[in-house]
Amino acid sequence: MKKNLSRIITTIVLIILSIYFLYPTYKDYTLNKELSKLSGQDSIEFVDKNNQELISAREKRLKLGLDLKGGMYVVLDVDVVKLLEDMARKKDEQLTGILAEVKEISKTSDELILETFKIKLREKGLNLKNYYGEIRDSEADVESKLTSEIDNSLDRAVEIVRNRVDQYGVAEPQIQKIGNSRIIIELPGVSNPEEVRKLLEGTALLEFKLVYDPGKAVKVFEAINKMLVGDTSIAVDSISANKISEDSLKTKNESLTSKDTTKNTSASNKDSLSKSKNTSSSITKDSLKDKKIAADKDKKDKKDTSKNKKDTATDADTSLVETDTSAESDTSAAQLSEEEFKAKYPFFTLVQMNQESGTADGYVKDSDKDKVERILNREDIKAIIPTDLIFAWSNKTFDAEGEKIHVLYTVKRDAEMTGKVITDARSNIDPTNNTPIVSMEMDSEGSSDWARITGANINKRIAIVLDNVVYSAPVVRSKITGGNSQIEGMANVQEAKLLEIVLKAGALPAPVKIIEERSIGPSLGEDSIRAGISSSFAALILVALFMVVYYKFGGSVADLALIINMLVILGVMASLKATLTLPGIAGLILSIGMSVDTNVLIFERIREELNGGKPLRTAVDLGYKKAFSAIIDSHLISIITGIILYQFGSGPIQGFALTLIFGLLANLFTAIIITHVIFDIMIEKGKNISFG
Amino acid sequence: MRIFHNTNYDFLGKRKKFYFVSLAIIVIGFTVLFTTKSIPLGIDFIGGTELQIKFEKDINISELREAMDNAGFAGMEIKTMGSDKDILLRTPLQEEGQVVSDKIQQGIEAKFPDTKFEVLRLDKVGPKIGAELRRNAIFAVLFSLIAILIYLAFRFQFVFAVAAVIALFHDVLITIATIAIFDAIFPNLRLEFNQSMLAAFLTLVGFSSNDTVIVFDRIRENIKLFKNENILDVMNKSVNSTLSRTVITSGTVFLTVLVLFIFGGEVNRSFAFTFGVGIITGTYSSVFVASAIVVDWKERTTALLKDKVAKRSKITTPKVKKVNA
Repeated sequence: MKKNLSRIITTIVLIILSIYFLYPTYKDYTLNKELSKLSGQDSIEFVDKNNQELISAREKRLKLGLDLKGGMYVVLDVDVVKLLEDMARKKDEQLTGILAEVKEISKTSDELILETFKIKLREKGLNLKNYYGEIRDSEADVESKLTSEIDNSLDRAVEIVRNRVDQYGVAEPQIQKIGNSRIIIELPGVSNPEEVRKLLEGTALLEFKLVYDPGKAVKVFEAINKMLVGDTSIAVDSISANKISEDSLKTKNESLTSKDTTKNTSASNKDSLSKSKNTSSSITKDSLKDKKIAADKDKKDKKDTSKNKKDTATDADTSLVETDTSAESDTSAAQLSEEEFKAKYPFFTLVQMNQESGTADGYVKDSDKDKVERILNREDIKAIIPTDLIFAWSNKTFDAEGEKIHVLYTVKRDAEMTGKVITDARSNIDPTNNTPIVSMEMDSEGSSDWARITGANINKRIAIVLDNVVYSAPVVRSKITGGNSQIEGMANVQEAKLLEIVLKAGALPAPVKIIEERSIGPSLGEDSIRAGISSSFAALILVALFMVVYYKFGGSVADLALIINMLVILGVMASLKATLTLPGIAGLILSIGMSVDTNVLIFERIREELNGGKPLRTAVDLGYKKAFSAIIDSHLISIITGIILYQFGSGPIQGFALTLIFGLLANLFTAIIITHVIFDIMIEKGKNISFG
Repeated sequence: MRIFHNTNYDFLGKRKKFYFVSLAIIVIGFTVLFTTKSIPLGIDFIGGTELQIKFEKDINISELREAMDNAGFAGMEIKTMGSDKDILLRTPLQEEGQVVSDKIQQGIEAKFPDTKFEVLRLDKVGPKIGAELRRNAIFAVLFSLIAILIYLAFRFQFVFAVAAVIALFHDVLITIATIAIFDAIFPNLRLEFNQSMLAAFLTLVGFSSNDTVIVFDRIRENIKLFKNENILDVMNKSVNSTLSRTVITSGTVFLTVLVLFIFGGEVNRSFAFTFGVGIITGTYSSVFVASAIVVDWKERTTALLKDKVAKRSKITTPKVKKVNA
C-alpha cells in the first residue's frame, strides 16, 4: 500500500492539474455560448460586465489552430531584391537589369541573394562599391554594411507588421520571426484576406505630426463627455479598479534636441536635458479629483497649468470656463462620490488625464480600450471632433495596478513632414548621464524643413507616428538646424532600440512579399471541427466498448485510463499554451490507439501467465513486468519519430507531432502507473479481477 | 472471449511466398504510378494556388472551366467535392503578390454574376516554400529511419535493427504502391501527396516499427528461453504468441482510422487512407519481412558456421590420420 500511496497521489495531482488547466477552456466556452444568444446592445453590456472573466478565460483556454477556427496564415519574406534597389545610391539601367536577373534566379535558388547579386555584378565588371559605397569604403566594408542592413530590415518589417496587425484589431494574432528573412503571421478569424494582404505588403508610413494643443484637446474631450452624459446607452463600467493610483502613471517627458556639435548648442542641450528630467511628472493619487476639477473647470487650477505651458492658447482657457457654468458642478466638485463621478463623467472615467503634466494625453486601461474606440467611432461623436484632430494610440503600454495602460494621443491630422527624409537613426547611451538616446539624421532638404518646423514649435510636442501609431512624442527644446536631432527620455535601451527601428522604417522601408498564404473560411473551420470531434468520439466509444467486451473488468480499467489520458493530454496542451489543430486531433486519435495497444499488451501477458497457472497477483505483476520492455521500446521509438516530425514539419504537421508526443508520454504514465495501481488495490482487497 | 488462442501457424516457413507477394505489389503499384502519373503532388510540395469555393447553388462545371480559360487559366484543375456547389480550383501558376486568386475570383464573378459564392479555403504556396517542404519531407523520413536503426541497434542485435528498417522501407513502398493503385481505380478518393499524407507516412513508420519491436521483444525473450531450439521454431513460436495482441491492436487502431476516414472530413482523408494501408502493411511486415529477414540471416550464418565447422573438421581429420600413420 505504501508503494502505491505515492502513485495514487501523483495520479490525483495530475488529474486535478489537468482539470485546473482545462477549466478556463470550459469557462470560455460557456461565456461565449451565453454571448452568442445575445445581440446588439445586450451583447455589449454582457461583454462589459464580464470583461475580466472573458479576457482571462480567453488567455488561458486551449488554443485552436486556424484550421479549426478559420483565419489566415501568412509567411512573409523580406524582399531583398527590392531592398537592394531602394538602397542603391544611383539607379541606372544596368543595375535594374542585374536586379531583374537576380530576382529570376532567386525564385528557384537557395543561394543568398546578396551572393547572387555580387556574382552578377562581377560578370558585368562592376562591384558593390559602385552602387552602395563611398569613395573611401573598401568592398568588404560595403558588403558587411549591406548584410547588416538586410538583417535589420527583418526587425523593421516585424515591427511594421506587428503595428499594423495590432491596429487591424485581430484577436490573438501571432507574429513570429523565422530565420534571417521570414515572418510567420497567424490571424485567427480573419475573413477578408484581400484586406490583410494590402495591410501586410503596403509600404509603411512614418510621419511627424504636431501634438494637438492641450487646451483645445481637453475641450474636445469634454464635448465628448457631454455627449455621453446625454446618452444612457453607454454603460459605465462598474469596476472600481478604474482608479489608477499614485506613482503608477508616470509620464516620461521625451525631448527633442539638436545634436549639433558646436559648443553653444551642446551647452543648451545639457540645459534642456536637465529640464526634461525635472518635468517628468506623475499622476497623483488624486488623479480622479484632478479630473473632476478639470471637468468642472476649476479656473484656478486651469490657469496654473496653462501658465506652465508657454504656448497655451488663451481662447481655450476662456472657453473652458464658459462651457459649463452651472452652479451645481462648481460647488459640488470635490464632494462628488465615485459613483456620481462616473455617471457625470463617463468619458473621463474611461480616459483619465493628468492635469499636472500640461498635456492632454489620455490614459486608458487595456480592458477599456475597445470601449473607447467604440465611442470614438460613433457617428454622433465623430461629428463633434474637429476635422484637423485625430486620435492616435501609443505603441507601448505600461503597467499600473496589474493592468496595461494605453496612452491616447490627440494629434493634428496633417503631418508636418514624412519620415522619408531620414537618412539614418541610431540608438545609443548618452555617456554624460547613462540614459538611452536616439539620434536621427536627415537629408539636406529634410533638414531645412525640420529647422523651420522645430523653430516654430519650440516647447511643443511633435509625435513620431508610424502607420497611425504614436511611438514617441518628444518636446521640442530648440530649433534644430543641420538635420541632426537627438531624442531622449526613453525608459530603457529596448525602447530606444525600438524607436531606432521605427525611424529607420521611415528612411528605408522594409519591403516584404507574401510567399505562402493559407486562409480558411470560418464555416470550413466549423465543419472540420465538427467532423474531427465527432469522429474522435465515435472512435473512442467503439474502442472502449470493444475493450470492455473483450477484457471484461480489465477492459473497463483500461477505458478509465484512456479517459484520464485524454484529459492529461489536453490539460498539458492548455498549460503549455500549445495549439490544437486538425492534424492534432488526428494525433489524439492515434494516441487512443497507442493507449489501447499498451493495455492489450499487458492484458495478453497477464492472460498468458494466468493460463500458465499463476495466481492472480503474480500474474498481474509478471504481466506488467514482462510487457514493460516492449512498451518502453515502442513508445520511445514513436516519441523519437514524433520529435523528428516536429523538427522538420511545418505548422499543421507540428501540431500532429505535438499531440502525439504528449499522448505517448501521458500513455506511458497511465498504462504503467494508474492501471497497475487500480489492479493492486483490487487484489489487496481480495477482489477477483476478470481479464476476459 | 479469446481469439487466436494457442495458435501454432508456420508463418515463417512460407516466407519466400510472401516475399514474392510484397515484390509483386510494389512492382504493380510503381508501374501504375509511373504509367498513369497518379498520386498528384499537392501544392504544398510544388507551389501554386488552390481555392475551395462554395457556390450558393449548383453550377455548370464546363461553364466554370470556360470562365477560367477566359481568365487566362487554360487547363486549370477543377474538381467537384461532393456536389456541384463545392468546387476545388487549383493551378500551379505562381505569380508575385496575390494576383492569381484575385483573377480567379474575378473570373468567376464575371461568368456567374448572379450566383454568390464563398471562398472556404485559399492556399497559396510559393515555389521556394514548396521546394523547402519537399526537402524537409525527405529529411524527416530519412532521419526517422536512421533514428530507429540506431535505437534498435542498441536494444537488439544489429541484424534485428537492419531487418526492422528494411521492413519500414517495405511499408513505405507498399503504401505508395497501394495508393497509386487505388488512386488509379478510384479517382474520386482524391488522394494526393500533401503535408497530411506526409504525416501519415511518418506515423506509419512509427506504428510499424512499434509492431515490429513488440514481435522482436518476444523473440529476444524466447531466444534466451529456448536456447537449444531451431531459430525458425523459436521465431514462429514468438510470432504466434504475440498474434492475438498484434491482431487486436492493429484491429483497434485500424478501427479508429476507419472512423477518421469516413467521418473525419476531406482534410483528414488522405491521412486516414494512407495510415490505414500502413497499419495493414506494418502488421504484415513485422512478421513476413522483419522476422523473415532475421530468420534468413540467422539460418545463413548458422549454415556458414556449420560449413566452417565442417571444413575445419575435414581439414583436421586427415591431419589426425597422418599423425596416426
